[in-house]
Order: sequence, then C-alpha cells, then structure tokens
Amino acid sequence: MKKSIKGTTISDRLLLLFLITASISGIFLARDALPESGEVVIELDGQPAFTAALREDRVIRLQSSVGPVEVEIKNSRARIREAHCPNQLCVKQGWVSRGIIVCLPGKIVVFVGGRGKHKKKDLDAVTG
Amino acid sequence: MGIRPLLIVLLLLAVSCSGPKPHSYQKSKALMDTFITITVVSDSEATAGAAIEKAFVRLEQFGNMINFFSPDSELSMVNNNAGVAATHVSPETLEVIDKALYVAEKSGGAFDPTIGPIMQLWDFHKNTKPEDAEVKRRLPLVNYRNVRIDRKHSTVFLTRKGMLLDLGGIAKGYAADLAVETLGKQGIRSGIVAVAGDIKAFGYRPDGKPWNIGIKNPRQKGEKDEIIATIPLSDKAISTAGDYERFFIMNGQRYHHIMNPATGYPAYGTRSVSVVADKGVFADGFDNAIFVLGPEKGRKLIEQLNRDFPADAFIIYDNGSEYITTGINGLLKHEKEH
Repeated sequence: MKKSIKGTTISDRLLLLFLITASISGIFLARDALPESGEVVIELDGQPAFTAALREDRVIRLQSSVGPVEVEIKNSRARIREAHCPNQLCVKQGWVSRGIIVCLPGKIVVFVGGRGKHKKKDLDAVTG
Repeated sequence: MGIRPLLIVLLLLAVSCSGPKPHSYQKSKALMDTFITITVVSDSEATAGAAIEKAFVRLEQFGNMINFFSPDSELSMVNNNAGVAATHVSPETLEVIDKALYVAEKSGGAFDPTIGPIMQLWDFHKNTKPEDAEVKRRLPLVNYRNVRIDRKHSTVFLTRKGMLLDLGGIAKGYAADLAVETLGKQGIRSGIVAVAGDIKAFGYRPDGKPWNIGIKNPRQKGEKDEIIATIPLSDKAISTAGDYERFFIMNGQRYHHIMNPATGYPAYGTRSVSVVADKGVFADGFDNAIFVLGPEKGRKLIEQLNRDFPADAFIIYDNGSEYITTGINGLLKHEKEH
C-alpha cells in the first residue's frame, strides 16, 4: 500500500482527492433530490408538531384547536384515530401509506411517507 | 498530466459549482376551509419561507373576507343586507364578485354566484337531498342579474331579500392568482400554488422544465388520487370541476355538488372538466360553467372563450369519452385507461 502511494505524483493525489470529494458530495446531492420517505410529519396550524418513523408502531396524542387528536401508526401506515371535529372526515379517511390526511376544522395535517406526496410520479401538483 | 493543467481544471470545476443554486421549497397550510400548498423556486430558503408566509397571510385575509359561513365576513354582510342596502367591500371581494359576474354573463348563467340559497339545502356530509318544493321555492332567488356592483364606491348590493352570494365555485382560483401576485412582489419568479385542486404555475422548475400537473381520474379504480392524465404548465392556471368531489348516491342516482342554477339540482352529462387559462379565477369559474352546460353547449363555450383569451379544456363525459381542445392536445399525456 505504502509503495503504491509513494509511486504517485502530486497530480495523481490531487485527482484522487477530487474524486473522493465528488463521490461524497454526490451522496448528499442524491439524498437531497429524493423525497423524504418513511416518515410521518404532523402539523398543527401550519407548524410542525411531531415527526415519527413510519416503521415504528405508535399512537401520538396532540392538542389541536378542536381538542385532542390521536394519530396512529401501524404496519407502515398512519391514520387519524380520533379527532373532535364535526364531520369526522379525517377519521373516515382511514389508513394512508403515502399521502396526506387533513382535518380542516382542526387545522391538522398529517404527511405520511414524507412531504413528497407526488414525487414518485414526478408530479408537482394534482387538480381534481 | 502536469500539475498546472490539473489545477486549472480543478479551479474551473470549483468555480462552476460555486454560488447558490435554485431549489424548490414547499409549505402547506389548512386555510380557507381547504388545503393549500405553495412551492417556490429560490436560491435561499429564508427568502422562500418569507415569501410563502406572506402569501399565506394574504390568503388567510382573503379567506376571511369571502367566508360564506363566517358571520363576520364581508360576504356575509353583503348577504345579510340583501334587499336592504349596498355593502362596502374590500377591492379583493369586489374583484372576485366582478369576475364571477363576468363568468356568469359569458356562460349565460350556467355559472351563477347567487346559487347560495340552493347550496344551503344540500348536505353532502349527511347525504341530504332537499324537498322538491323547497328547491322550487328558492330557485327565483338565484339570478346573477340581481347583483349590483358599484366600482366607484366599492359596494355590492343583492336586490332581492333572501339572495345569497356563494363564491365557492370561483374563490379558490382567484386565491391562487392572489398568492402568485404576492410571491411575485417578494421577488419569486417561479413556483406553483395549489389551493386544493385550483393550481397556478409560474416560471419553471429548478430543472428547467415546466411544472407537471396531474389530473385526477373521475372514476378512481383503486389507488387513491389515481391520475388519468398529466399536463406540463408554465404561467398558466388549471382547475377541475368533477362530480366525484362531494357526492352521495341515493336510489342509484349520483347527487353531486355542481348545481345547475336553472334547476337547483346537480348537472349531469359530464364527469369532469379541467380548464387551463391564464388566470386562476377564470379556470375555476369556467370549469363549473362548462360542466353545467354539458357536452354540446360546454364545447361551444370553450370555443367562444378562446376568442377573448387563451382557454383550453379537457372534458370527460358520462360515457367516458373525452374532448380535448387543440391548444393542449399535444401537451396532455394520458396515464391510464378509465
């Protein structure tokens, strides 16, 4: 090993250093381009309130403007198990493995599988 | 390779990689009784965040002005003063009502912002269908010609007591316009605002491509938010009216939220209408109008509109057949059979 390092010129070493730097930065660039996955992010009134791993089963209980809200994570899916909003649409939405659950009266937003809801299909937004 | 040329190459690479690169930044918020997502392209996270927050503040203010259910909104004041007196409103409220009346006029009343008395009768959460007699009794209150706007004094007057303006069919598109205007004032040149399904895209994505918009399949087969087609857009708005957004089925009949102002009952013949226009307010208003007009008259309306401003439509009829205007024919890419 020592012998092989001794046999290199300064240019070779600089080139090696450049290649290593480029490889490491490539990892970060690629990670930046990918959507965050495997996460459940809960926002209350536009502010992040809780982030949890989608692979860990648990129940998260938070206070919202319409009272307590329970978000359950199980088998890599999430749902709003309990909320005190009038129409219970968020509860009725049921389990989501990737997407968004919204409770408008309580201003609760649960991002399941990261924020990049449509990234898989290279979509920036959906109408309809 | 000698050391000097190698150093030059490395220096050039370092220079080419230096400087902040534009990224897209996204924030979502529950506002205006809906879910709003704003994405902007910026080389600074702080600039992007501040601009998005300003847009959210403006949308919240606008939402408070035109909230049909809030007793304190300007819209409620206009409605409460129906048949009594003109009400002074903010420039935004006046403008969205003015645009709503324009869409109503152009569509021969197929879109009518005075649909409020009829909308009050339908409850799509509790699957409530109103009594025919009640629909008949309220129908004379639906007439956009009985809305008086005084631009000079910034007032709105509903000439008949009991009339109710409901801007639900147009306000989200207008809100997308407002958000883009606010972002522009903050120096943002590219982004996309999605007020639920009312979308306005401006500029290009960081990769230099137009924004890619998915159009929902009106008859979802399995996967939630199944896409039927995609369309690349820049400096355009798109809005979709569909019979699948709020509906219930009773005795085999689908009752959905897009009402025909002439009958007080849901309009039939179409599953969904997506309109592409320069302004969100027109995309939002005219998608409803084309939906209500049905296959033949709806097609004629989009052709007529094109003489006034660029407008395109992707229509899916009840039998699954489609109509795509020539302006977007080459852009629309189908995802799946439906």
